[in-house]
Amino acid sequence: MIHPSIVGMELGEVRFPIERSKLAELARAYGDDDPAWHDAAAAATAGFTTLPLPPTATILGDHWRPGGILALAEQIGADPARLLHGEASWELLAPIEPGEQLTARQRVESVKTREGKRGGTMTIVTLLTEFTNDNGTPVVRRRDALIESGVPS
Amino acid sequence: MSTPAISTFATPLPSGPVVLKVGDEMPRSAFGPVSRTDIVRHAGAGGDFHPLHHDELYAKEAGFPGVFAMGLMQAGMLGNRLARWVGPDNIRAFSVRFTSQVWPGDELEFAGHVESITETDGEHRATISLTVLRRTGDPVITATATAAIAPPKESS
Repeated sequence: MIHPSIVGMELGEVRFPIERSKLAELARAYGDDDPAWHDAAAAATAGFTTLPLPPTATILGDHWRPGGILALAEQIGADPARLLHGEASWELLAPIEPGEQLTARQRVESVKTREGKRGGTMTIVTLLTEFTNDNGTPVVRRRDALIESGVPS
Repeated sequence: MSTPAISTFATPLPSGPVVLKVGDEMPRSAFGPVSRTDIVRHAGAGGDFHPLHHDELYAKEAGFPGVFAMGLMQAGMLGNRLARWVGPDNIRAFSVRFTSQVWPGDELEFAGHVESITETDGEHRATISLTVLRRTGDPVITATATAAIAPPKESS
């Protein structure tokens, strides 16, 4: 059960690199074999001065959270078996250079409840993650709405 | 015959803003059928090792028919296709809503079109509506994006 008092709770900070091999893995996972996503020469041929990034590239920071999604569920008091992703959004504020390190700070932005279609009360937690580069410049603002489904009575 | 998991896109990734007008459509593309390997590949790439997405027993005990894809897999695929259309450096915002789960065997189709064009912060920007559809017709993602585009050509 997620308690409304977690609004504002800080969920920790991770610092992680945006690196070529992870960008190659992401491109493959997205079903795109274009070498421009991970090979500097191919990217240059396509007209890029640095490797291009997909808009979702900052999900790579999720690897660096100790305990991953299950630890996050525990932190916010959610039952991981009933926790689903409702929404995700990215505001891309400034360019990210592959090779640089980003710092991601995550906190609970809001908690709402709603009656579920299958009975029970659903809880919707919105997490805000702010990514900054080593100059302190905000580069990405990400929001995730996580839904804990209700237990039908 | 199913679509291969890795696809070759016909056009190069745009390095600069592209010319778009209201109603223009994103080139259609497809992925699938989604395999458990695809889901695990995304787990390894992105870092989401929630057992709902790879552990059949855990998923069944949680009340699901089996494992299903993490939403960020199909969201990432959609973002990739958006980037192939408008250029990765030109995306200013990307927002997805997960409307249904993606199961192994699902075939996905990606679509989008320009809703409107505005001038914001000195840039011409397109507001884009996007969807990921299961081939059987129901949406698994509805999404919106904002992208910087090239100034419209003078129509004299």
